[in-house]
Amino acid sequence: MNLMGIIFANIYDSSLGELTNKRTMASLPYGGRYRQIDFTLSNMAACGIRHIGIISRYNYQSLMNHVGSGEEWDLELQEGGLEFLTPYASSTSSSYRGKLDVLNSAMDFLDFGDEEHVVLADPSLLYNLDLHKVVEDHIASGKDITVVMKDGIANGKKRLDMAISRKNGEICDMAVDYVAPEGYLASMGLFVISKDLLIHNVKEAVARNLYRFERDFVLRQYQAGALSVNIYEYDGVVLYTESTEEYYAANLALIDPKIREDLFRGAHPIYTKVRDQVPSYYGENCRLDNCTLADGCMLEGTVRNSVLFRHVQVGEGAVIEDSVIMNDTVVGENCYLKCVILDKDVVVSPGAHLVGTPSNPIILKRGETV
Amino acid sequence: MYFHKKRCVAMLLAGGQGSRLKVLTENTAKPAVPFGGKYRIIDFPLSNCVNSGIDTVGILTQYQPLELNEYIGNGQPWGLNKSHCCAQVLPPYAQSKKSEWYKGTANAIYQNLAFISRFDPEYVLILSGDHIYKMDYAAMIDFHEKTGADCTIAVRNVPLEEASRFGIMNTHPDGTIYEFEEKPKVPKSTNASMGIYVFNWKVLRDYLTADENDPNSENDFGKNIIPNLLGDGKKLMAYSFEGYWKDVGTIDSLWEANMELLGKNPAFDIRGTGRDRIYARNSAMPSSYIDTKARTVNCFIAEGSEIFGTVKHSIISTGCYIGEGATVEDSVLMPGTIIETGAIVRHAILGENSRVCANAVVGGTFAAGEKKEISVTQKNAIVPRGSVLFPGEML
Repeated sequence: MNLMGIIFANIYDSSLGELTNKRTMASLPYGGRYRQIDFTLSNMAACGIRHIGIISRYNYQSLMNHVGSGEEWDLELQEGGLEFLTPYASSTSSSYRGKLDVLNSAMDFLDFGDEEHVVLADPSLLYNLDLHKVVEDHIASGKDITVVMKDGIANGKKRLDMAISRKNGEICDMAVDYVAPEGYLASMGLFVISKDLLIHNVKEAVARNLYRFERDFVLRQYQAGALSVNIYEYDGVVLYTESTEEYYAANLALIDPKIREDLFRGAHPIYTKVRDQVPSYYGENCRLDNCTLADGCMLEGTVRNSVLFRHVQVGEGAVIEDSVIMNDTVVGENCYLKCVILDKDVVVSPGAHLVGTPSNPIILKRGETV
Repeated sequence: MYFHKKRCVAMLLAGGQGSRLKVLTENTAKPAVPFGGKYRIIDFPLSNCVNSGIDTVGILTQYQPLELNEYIGNGQPWGLNKSHCCAQVLPPYAQSKKSEWYKGTANAIYQNLAFISRFDPEYVLILSGDHIYKMDYAAMIDFHEKTGADCTIAVRNVPLEEASRFGIMNTHPDGTIYEFEEKPKVPKSTNASMGIYVFNWKVLRDYLTADENDPNSENDFGKNIIPNLLGDGKKLMAYSFEGYWKDVGTIDSLWEANMELLGKNPAFDIRGTGRDRIYARNSAMPSSYIDTKARTVNCFIAEGSEIFGTVKHSIISTGCYIGEGATVEDSVLMPGTIIETGAIVRHAILGENSRVCANAVVGGTFAAGEKKEISVTQKNAIVPRGSVLFPGEML
């Protein structure tokens, strides 16, 4: 299959507050040892996509550092491979109001390759999906664009980028930025489209000062009868991380063996940057209960229902519950932490108490000392 | 092709069978034996090379090299895949007039003199793939250079009663070696050779060539090359190394070395920050999971493991599974091992991907001071449901 990939690295950055203050959504640490983009890259690489553009408009240093040349995903290639499409990467200056704008600024990249189809993806969603099937379905459908969608997300509370309802297999309603009721399918931000059609529509839209991909291209053209839409309904695990609350829940979701199985042992492995940590050391008095842990941790205290990233240290007598603790963070002796997200390199001094709630977890910024 | 001149090229002898590791090396070379949860023995000398600034390593393989070759690959995990450096696997090869296996350690290097000479080094570092240790080879090479020796041999102090198990270097007070005794009955000193040599390249080349032409030679560094150098009055220096060093050539020592990683202040601290980090080829495994019913006390657990049972004083490698009600104590589980519900494993080394079925019992407990008989399973072994593998037994 002749495919090109485009990853939008900055979507939803603003809704995650401090966690994405100094990084992109794509490089947000997830699940103990990953960055969110690892899922997108692994999905694309496993399906043989060898030419991937990562569109990133700011804060991309941590992302570049993580992805590097792409060798972990076998994307360090003589031809194609990974390209960072940053604001200064093209000669066409353009604003960054929406995906159509950024695709327009990536026109040189789009034009260059000889790929037939483009896969567009958003790393704020985590899933391990066989893209082969999606592309095959797209080609078999004969439609202009395939939108990958998930049932069970629409709940009358969550605002969806794009929601579609069907009757007898036919689309009966399509809406964007919609707090859809149950029964609607939610977009996974994953699209397949022919490259020529995408280029044509990006140029057309931008010429008319339109910039939102879902609203100004898919919905508008669909309603005008100018775009046929194929729906690929995905039945695997999909975790949304579009808000702090969702991000927190998506991490703790890994304690569920079914979710772990689907995300990590599903269609293909999820690759990430190698860190060469030693195995985690469980001390004489530690007590771990319903936790997932990466390598390099030093554990002397008690940890329940939590996700520990690489090289986290938990002192004796400390108790951690329902929390997400990122790389290299140190939790001192006799601390009590509940419902917290500790970013990288945080130091919690001995005896500290920090208690948040699941809907409003306490977040400590990278490098902070409490 | 252009080859940069190198100060030092390392040659890593990785061809040994390691027959004293019994079933663990039945289908794989000793340097490829897993160690410490996510490493293999060869990671230690390879990482030491990288951390010492040695970026050209020839790896001599012979016995069951498939797994080892695959593991080394292009040297990427150790950063040895760049255009100016390499980790090159050197198997025996057919030559125009003859072809032969590596007859001995010296012959193995002799057959690859062409590899070394492409880099025109000042020094050649000879290493073996059987030891667990962290060492700055650069300091040893500096010592070698400063003393103006023709050959420097790393030595460590061993207890006098054990000295007769080693090659012993008898030295003058300034560290000059005047005599080498292989496994002496009555040792004169306690400086045991660690099998790590720094040679001046031209001296090494000349002595290997002469040794090859001697039909009576066993083509061995310890038995032939070192005695010949001494006989000719060459300057040999002993370089004392004080750090942790363990020959993991036997089941008992392999088990001990694994156990020595454990504890708050372990005998061997495998952790490292910069230039004492050990690198390994990583597998794409998710974080490990520790269940509510699990107990994990004084143990290493590597990524990709799922623990529902009890683990005490053990090394659990990448991708292991320990079922509910199962107990693992004082044991080493190599990658991918499965311990089913209710099984008990004590004082054991379980080979990669082996499976202890439900309610089976492996190994036993020992009184303090009693010799621990380690039970061992080989790769892919299955201990059937409800069966017993006795202490010291192998499968």
